[in-house]
Amino acid sequence: MEAQRSDATSRLPDVVQEFASAVVPALRGGDGRFDVVGTVLTPADDPVAVAAVRVLGADVLAPRTLAGRTPTEADLALFEHAVRAFPPKAGGSALSAWSHRGMRAALAAARADGTARAGDGDVPDTAWVAELSWQRMTHQLAQLAALAVPGLAPPLAEAVAARPVDLARGFVRAVRRRDWLQAAGAGRWLAMTPGTPESLGLATGLDFVHHMGGADARVALHVQAAAVLRSRGDGAATPYAGSVRA
Amino acid sequence: MSVETTLPLATETMADDVEALLNPTEADGTFRDSAECAVLLLAGGKVLLAPPTPRPKG
Repeated sequence: MEAQRSDATSRLPDVVQEFASAVVPALRGGDGRFDVVGTVLTPADDPVAVAAVRVLGADVLAPRTLAGRTPTEADLALFEHAVRAFPPKAGGSALSAWSHRGMRAALAAARADGTARAGDGDVPDTAWVAELSWQRMTHQLAQLAALAVPGLAPPLAEAVAARPVDLARGFVRAVRRRDWLQAAGAGRWLAMTPGTPESLGLATGLDFVHHMGGADARVALHVQAAAVLRSRGDGAATPYAGSVRA
Repeated sequence: MSVETTLPLATETMADDVEALLNPTEADGTFRDSAECAVLLLAGGKVLLAPPTPRPKG
């Protein structure tokens, strides 16, 4: 049993990369459907696949919530399994709670008309966005970059919108530290946050991040998501289709 | 005689692994700004260019 657990632990990061690699092309465009389960080699009934989906969170359905593409039933079933199998722990971190809430919101959107909507249940804490140092805030937000989808986490997006300059500083700091995943996540939030400084040169910065860190599929995913967000207009939280439901 | 289980590892045993990936700590790193780099370069250059310690005679 310990050997099995050790094997699963060691495989998880690679399976996360595998699933992220399947999502990125679906964000770039193409025909209507995307098929994550049909693309990856790890079978959907492998517990490591379920865990990987939980780690990626709402981003497994980003082609639906950001680009309007239709997920397969197999993808939705696996996603739903991950939501049920890995609930946030009582007394756990706000990151875990937000990540799970984002997944529930993305699932609801995917099963309906695709418009991202706020999740059900209690809203996790957002006070930390205002209270943390800009360095720590950026690091934490980067872990929740999958929620940088208009309408998916309105309270969190609203909190982020109060500190665009600090987030921009955090983006630059992450680039200087060569923390490409943090930089990509921060950049994705900036792509949908009003008040992002023009002087930052976000588009060029994200191109640089992709050039340096794009071998990491999660970096590529965030950069591509940011490109989708920028192409939708003005960096404000504009719903993809129709109005955002409360 | 123990029987090795062939059942798939339950997802609940991976909860800690998932939480660890959802809540990573920021990697430590040293970062020097340009001014500090310039000072280090000048100080290092002075050391390299300094004359060697005289050898004792005899």
